[in-house]
Amino acid sequence: MISLNQVSKSFAGTRVVDDVSFSVPEGAFLVLLGPSGCGKSTMLRMLAGLEQPTGGQIRFGDMLVADGGSGFALPPARRDAGLVFQSYALWPHMTVAGNIDWPLKVARLPAEERRARIAEAMEMLGITQLAQRYPGEISGGQQQRVALARMIAPRPKVMLFDEPLSNLDATLRVEMRFELLKVHAATGATSVYVTHDQVEAMTMASHVAVMNHGRIEQFDAPERLLAEPSSAFVAGFVGTPAANLIPIADGKWLGTIADAALPDIAGHAMVRAETIELADEAGPRTVSVTLAEVVPMAGRRLVTGVANGVRITAITDSTDRLPSNLRFRLPPAAAAIFDSEGKRIS
Amino acid sequence: MTVPLRRLRPSLARYGLTAAMALILVVLVAAPLATILIQTLQSGGGAWADVLASRLSQNLFWRPATNTMIIGLAVAGGCVLLGGFLAWLVVMTDVPGRPLIAFMATLPFMIPSFATALAWGSVFRNGRVGGAGGLLEGLGFSVPDWLSWGMVPTIVVLIAHYYALAFTVIAAALSTVNGDLVEAAQMTGASRKRILFGIVLPVVTPAVIAGGSLAFAGAVSNFAAPALLGLPVRMQTLSTRLFGMIEIGQTERGYVLAILLIAISAIFLGIGNRILNSRRSFATISGKGARPRRFTLGTMRLPLALLAWTVCILTTLLPILLLLAASLAPSSLSLFSDWTLHYWIGAADPAFARGQPGIFHHPQLISALTTTLMLGAGVVFAANALGLLIAVALTRQKVPVLSNAVSQLSFLPMLLPGIAFAAAYIALYGAPIGPLPALYGTKLLLGLALTAAMLPFAVQTGRATVAQISGDIDEAARMTGAGFFHRLWAITLPLAARGLAAGLLISFVNVIGDLAITVLLYTPTSPLLAVLSYSYASDGFHQFANAVTLVILVISMLATCAATLLRGRRRQTFA
Repeated sequence: MISLNQVSKSFAGTRVVDDVSFSVPEGAFLVLLGPSGCGKSTMLRMLAGLEQPTGGQIRFGDMLVADGGSGFALPPARRDAGLVFQSYALWPHMTVAGNIDWPLKVARLPAEERRARIAEAMEMLGITQLAQRYPGEISGGQQQRVALARMIAPRPKVMLFDEPLSNLDATLRVEMRFELLKVHAATGATSVYVTHDQVEAMTMASHVAVMNHGRIEQFDAPERLLAEPSSAFVAGFVGTPAANLIPIADGKWLGTIADAALPDIAGHAMVRAETIELADEAGPRTVSVTLAEVVPMAGRRLVTGVANGVRITAITDSTDRLPSNLRFRLPPAAAAIFDSEGKRIS
Repeated sequence: MTVPLRRLRPSLARYGLTAAMALILVVLVAAPLATILIQTLQSGGGAWADVLASRLSQNLFWRPATNTMIIGLAVAGGCVLLGGFLAWLVVMTDVPGRPLIAFMATLPFMIPSFATALAWGSVFRNGRVGGAGGLLEGLGFSVPDWLSWGMVPTIVVLIAHYYALAFTVIAAALSTVNGDLVEAAQMTGASRKRILFGIVLPVVTPAVIAGGSLAFAGAVSNFAAPALLGLPVRMQTLSTRLFGMIEIGQTERGYVLAILLIAISAIFLGIGNRILNSRRSFATISGKGARPRRFTLGTMRLPLALLAWTVCILTTLLPILLLLAASLAPSSLSLFSDWTLHYWIGAADPAFARGQPGIFHHPQLISALTTTLMLGAGVVFAANALGLLIAVALTRQKVPVLSNAVSQLSFLPMLLPGIAFAAAYIALYGAPIGPLPALYGTKLLLGLALTAAMLPFAVQTGRATVAQISGDIDEAARMTGAGFFHRLWAITLPLAARGLAAGLLISFVNVIGDLAITVLLYTPTSPLLAVLSYSYASDGFHQFANAVTLVILVISMLATCAATLLRGRRRQTFA
């Protein structure tokens, strides 16, 4: 449904999006995931038509919507796409119903149809009772619902979300995640969702594009990102907790603990928290750490220690009081090895 | 003792500032006004009957009132259109030379309206009321009366003067319109025109109303322009009529006219206030710094740029150049020939200009210069400090009746013709009050009257900027335990700096360009530049008047440049 071919975007000579290609089928929920400044918002704005790519093509289905080479760009409204802004961008001088109505008016829908669409959208988001209120008079969570209602009322084929949950508190965020998925399922539209929160990506996405420095680090299903991260960046970015990336050099963990199973290079070994054990005494592959924090989680405990400035996290069932100096036993084999550039070797 | 004090403290925190401001405003504004009102009623209301229902009332009130209304509405409309158009160009489009247009569009306010009126006369004056014509007559054109005198020139001159006010207010509001709001509208496929009329304009409506009402209030109480351009053909406005009444000693009728003028302005400003305070008024500040999105003007880019440039030059550079030429040319018919510096530095010569020496030989020029500067600085500081405190009180403390009173009182001086305000000050403070000595003839009285007169500007700018700062920001500072004045100094002032710079600028230039108040309250021992210029002009020495006006203009320009440098750091957010 959405396909990108070598899309690039430069601002005054700086490449913020660099040679991005991927495609997702109709009805997919694509999450663009990455730290701030990675180019994910610019990607979204190019999909919306608010920015033009400086290279490559963007297609919605068979329809070419933007071509950086020829400078062709379909205006936003002709792309059949809706966008929810991080700030919600509700028009403050219109009521809730007025906000939802305005795009429909612009699209010249008959009054009868507009009324039905407004009622339907407000119904779906549970904001019917707010119809005559102004945006300044309702809460942040309610504003978010209004923004969603305004976006879905014209029934776009593509729904775009620019970090829509980042201004909400944690409880509301969980609630709105569910709300968003409901809207996605009900409309069947293809969604593209920008976030820096990997939990949102993991819980909502059918496809995830992890971005860093304007490039796609990995494009995969959420579970594949966890199972087979293609770079040290991805391995360190996803997962709760994220996998440990322990520096290795000359076949030694942290440059000090020799292990014949390690390759003789400088880089990082990926070790999942659930494969690290607490050790009572020194032995092969044990590393002494200073206790940093303990996080109870789902009846187990995440134990994080620091060794040579490197944070290492283990999961344990033990409920004992932990001493301030403890030992971790590393697994016989790393789950993955990355070279010093962060590329995966094995 | 401690228990009542403890009870008092929370209410002080809630009402203290508002109450203090209310008290100051009573002394500065309400008391002189009450004096006028009482004096008009003391005589049994005879003055009221004379003005409203007598053989004289047609000439005393109804005709001047009609003229005043026409001028006020035309100027408000013209200012909003012109100022709004330029603000839109500068803030929302890709028109070339935006920073310079933004700068030039604020300049007309630096030019006193009597300067623009003098400049108009130097071009369009005809010989109808005696004396030589202006430049156009000198070139052989016959200038019709409607273009030389009366309503049309007054309106044009006042629009050229006050549109800067509307521009400043609307541009500030436009630059806070969240870029996302426009993009959200673009996503719907709305046309540029529809986004402008459906989204942008409604969002800045409060600013448009504020700009329009300021221009209206300024126009109806302006004295210099109708006096210079209307009086020679007996076109009276309420302010010139009032001036005439007081000048010929009929102070009570003058006070009645002043009260009626206040009433007229109040009705219109009341309507504006009601719209501003409705629930649709809103702050559009959001956490994420919105990137400004500019409309591309396409083929209209150059024509619109040319139009903007023409407006800017016609209202700023041209009047100044005309005044300069007119201060050098012996004959008003040919402004560009036989130039001489006599009017500036010439020694007294019986054969030239009836023996008048150049202005720099005038014994009072230097003392007028220093008095003007010191008075201006003092008034500006006092008015803006008060204005900011009032703005803070109005936004942070909502006290049922008191807040409204503070808001109304601080805006009131705007509606008071300067000349009546000055007379009210003499009426109240001219005689000793209890142990306090009479203030008449002191610079303090002049300073107090000017401070009160400048308050509306100071409060308006203070209010516009303080309102943009969300309550959260102040509360965040409050959480640190910072006291009220500490927060004001460390948080509110830096955030409001840009608006305050504009406020300082506007009031300083207004003080040194003010004529209506100073002409009545100045002391003969320490004259002011504006008064000096006026006395030259009333004696028929136009070249000298123009030269002194240019001195005022130079000071205004320097003040403007200093303020621009001060806020230069933040210019990019504006244009």
